[in-house]
Amino acid sequence: MTIANVLTVALLVIGCFFFLTGTIGLVRFPDFYARMHATGKSDTLAVFCCLLALAIHHGLALDSFKLLLIAVFVYVANPTGTHAICRAAFRAGVKPWTRKTNK
Amino acid sequence: MHAFFLGTSLFLCLLVLVCLYRVIWGPTTIDRMVAAGAIGTKTLIILVLMGFLYDRIAMFIDISMVYAILNFIGTLAFAKYFEGAGEI
Amino acid sequence: MLSRESDNLIVKTVVRIFVPFIQVYALYVIAHGHYSPGGGFQGGVILGASIVLLFLAYGRRQAMRRMGEGLTAFMNSTGVFIYGGIGLLCLLLGGNLLDYASLDRILHVGAAQSRSLGILGVEVGVGIAVMAAMISIFLDISTGGDLPDDDND
Repeated sequence: MTIANVLTVALLVIGCFFFLTGTIGLVRFPDFYARMHATGKSDTLAVFCCLLALAIHHGLALDSFKLLLIAVFVYVANPTGTHAICRAAFRAGVKPWTRKTNK
Repeated sequence: MHAFFLGTSLFLCLLVLVCLYRVIWGPTTIDRMVAAGAIGTKTLIILVLMGFLYDRIAMFIDISMVYAILNFIGTLAFAKYFEGAGEI
Repeated sequence: MLSRESDNLIVKTVVRIFVPFIQVYALYVIAHGHYSPGGGFQGGVILGASIVLLFLAYGRRQAMRRMGEGLTAFMNSTGVFIYGGIGLLCLLLGGNLLDYASLDRILHVGAAQSRSLGILGVEVGVGIAVMAAMISIFLDISTGGDLPDDDND
């Protein structure tokens, strides 16, 4: 029941919660752009929280630094990919969902 | 802690199966690609957790870093291909 | 389409920042092939993927100034030359093909250490050759088989 264990469990639970909400958004939202919101934002934060938890669990070592390096890379690269896909979809003509066009 | 990591990995595998719904029934191609990217992000965490479960952390960290890089490159390549309406 | 430069400032900036780090990581994967998953082929693929990233973000015309067709062919040949050259050197020094223990005659560090250095040498050669092969395949497929000849200026 050390402080590191408590922090690890708490951060992993928070990370899994963000993964869960992101996936529910991916499945249930009515429109492509809304799904990109859900996936791009919460997945990135969830990866950051989970990797931070595992780095705290491993202690002060070289592998913890490598885990934080992966976290920083995903933190910068995932939103860039999201932006590129959204812009490509907008240019290609994917229309946003409005309440009138529903059904 | 071992059981907790195992439970988290199984939960993330379940979420991957939920994302597969969007891969199979996504109305457009780009929906499928977004869901594939989300599966890739979850796979990254599952790989690192497997490293902690099998007690070979250094090996799995290298693998997951490579997978993060290739996921990013694949997403950018697909965005460029989609913008040009399939023309290469 | 892939020959046009992307007008997306965010993608261009992020790619410009990340490509050196990806290449350094690819060199790490090549060098640690004997200890962790990796080696020549995997590191070469990551190196090739980093150059493909440059092609995607900056367009074919501008990226070919960095890594044109001539340089790609040269690196392909260099990689195969290093790999085959080390094998042939072992043959000339009295052992079998790629029998690195016979490199001990010119290195004088012991049989085990010369085996390790020989493996590192062929991994570097394989990495360079695989990178050049990946770039060539990408250029060939993305232009539909006809790369214009007068792009390099």
